Amino acid sequence: MSDPEPKTQAPNVSFERERGVYAIQVTRDVAHAVVSVGEDALRTARILQTFRALAQANVPVFMVKMHHSAVTFAMAGAEMARAEAALAEAGLEAKTRRDLAVVAVRASSMRDLSGVMVEIADTLYSVGARLYETGDSHNSVQCLVEAVCVPQAIQALCRTFRLSADCVQVTSLEAAA
Amino acid sequence: MKILVQKFGGTSVDRPEHRALAARKVIKAREAGFHPVVVVSAIGRAGAPYATDTLIKVLQEIDPQVKPAAREMDMMMACGEIISTVVFAHTLQTRGFKAIALSGGQAGIITTREFGNARILEIRPHYIQRLLEQGYIPVVCGFQGITQPSNEYEHGAITTLGRGGSDTTGSALGAALKAVAVEIYTDVDGVRTADPNLVPGAYTLPVCTYEEVAEMAHQGAKVIHPRAAEIAMDYNIPLWVKSTFSEGPGTRIAGADAPESVRCRLTGITHTGQIVYIRLEIENAKHKPQIECEVYRMMARAGVNIYLVTYSPTALSFAVPRNLYSKAQDLLDGMVVPVEHETPDENGKLGTYYIFKFSEGLDLAYSVQRPLLKPVERRVNIVDVPASVVENCTMVSVIASNHRRVPGVVASIFETLTNAGIAVHQTADSEMSISCLVPESEGGRAVRLLHERLFEQ
Repeated sequence: MSDPEPKTQAPNVSFERERGVYAIQVTRDVAHAVVSVGEDALRTARILQTFRALAQANVPVFMVKMHHSAVTFAMAGAEMARAEAALAEAGLEAKTRRDLAVVAVRASSMRDLSGVMVEIADTLYSVGARLYETGDSHNSVQCLVEAVCVPQAIQALCRTFRLSADCVQVTSLEAAA
Repeated sequence: MKILVQKFGGTSVDRPEHRALAARKVIKAREAGFHPVVVVSAIGRAGAPYATDTLIKVLQEIDPQVKPAAREMDMMMACGEIISTVVFAHTLQTRGFKAIALSGGQAGIITTREFGNARILEIRPHYIQRLLEQGYIPVVCGFQGITQPSNEYEHGAITTLGRGGSDTTGSALGAALKAVAVEIYTDVDGVRTADPNLVPGAYTLPVCTYEEVAEMAHQGAKVIHPRAAEIAMDYNIPLWVKSTFSEGPGTRIAGADAPESVRCRLTGITHTGQIVYIRLEIENAKHKPQIECEVYRMMARAGVNIYLVTYSPTALSFAVPRNLYSKAQDLLDGMVVPVEHETPDENGKLGTYYIFKFSEGLDLAYSVQRPLLKPVERRVNIVDVPASVVENCTMVSVIASNHRRVPGVVASIFETLTNAGIAVHQTADSEMSISCLVPESEGGRAVRLLHERLFEQ
């Protein structure tokens, strides 16, 4: 077959996102709760009771973590009072705080990258941001930190991952209807 | 020109009768007025004579002790798609169509030099466009490209795109050629709510968003590679997942035009991974951040990916893939993290050495290392960091778009699993999914129960 001259010169197309961290997302006004569930035979029942109470009170939760004697979760700050009331009514002992934010570091195929977690932790600790909880998914590592630390945390993370200010997105969680 | 990219996976081209069905799809598209561009995977899956795994074995068997060079490995692996492309092009030619087989390089796919996992830098679509203008059906090798022909070190070397590479080729060509759609043909009739082998009641979703399908793929569903979905999303190319073996409409993968009803819903249940969960007890809250960072650093240095990381005031827990667990355990057992005190403590100790200790039988390095610290005990505290392990876990995930706006999802999942006596060791969630770490032996049952509760009631 001959190789004829092109009739039209189509532009080249650049592809595929860069691998590695490409954005930072901050979610403001996040609350966190630690509910004591004990370590006895009723632990599982108490965890279930916690989730049921929150569901009945229409409180969506995330960053749910099971610990030996507690279950912890995050929620929109606006939901905290409702969650406290629901948990108290269910007879559950809970400690809550509302001065937190989630800083999420986004990357394509996060779970194929090793070393991102240490870079994030090193960076956050270097600016004095204590990690209250973390969550991870295939495209992000989410860190629950004190809201007051967020500006320094963002600056430091941008330096670590060589990101410009355009790569930072700030959002808030909507309260459930 | 209405260009339609049609990608056929290994099981769609492994036998003459399957190739005939695949060819029929191409011919039908042509008859409907489209200009098809075909992308094919290697013929068959592991064990088949020209499958990628079989070709890799040929090199590995020369001397199992010597790892083949990545560059040569890529040339070898690319042969599977080259054979498949030629066979498929010939199949179309025998039916009276002008078809032409193209390697990734001939199709203009230029990649980085990362052999085995190259990233597409650009696509030069002119040659394919000319062929289409001349009435040809280009049949392109999936999974491969070449380095820049002008690259001083590796000019035009064959590269492979890594896992899901043929799906990636399909999406990338669709974007470069501004195709009206990319159709990914496989042996299932679209994106299902669960693996039909596990859940007979699983059904095909007519529409999914790019985010849903990427999340499902990442969480273990074998539908389409997330990288392909990502490219289609970035270039807004309509993507379809269809079956070669049926006439079903398949699943449309939608972007901005996705109906509102799919923006906040339960999409499916998946399960993935053979996982080991490790818990480290770190009593000293003040020193905990330093110890955690050392653990992360050590894992990163050894290339061990950790996830499901959980903090508590006195513990750090995380999961590792089971195939990397022994490496992680070797690294952690007996590891010493020295922490200097700013001023001597009340006992006059200048620092604290934390030493990691697995349970008896797994603490060989600890038992060697610990006595070696005896001489420094007068000057520093020696503190054990006990490590416990939950082996044989798997991750069951509920894909749920925007579940953070929906109360009760976590309650339903936890209730379903615990009422059935399935232990939930840990959970993790993102904007698109909620995952539970459960015993591996319960993985299938967990998927079935969750599907029944969330999709069939």
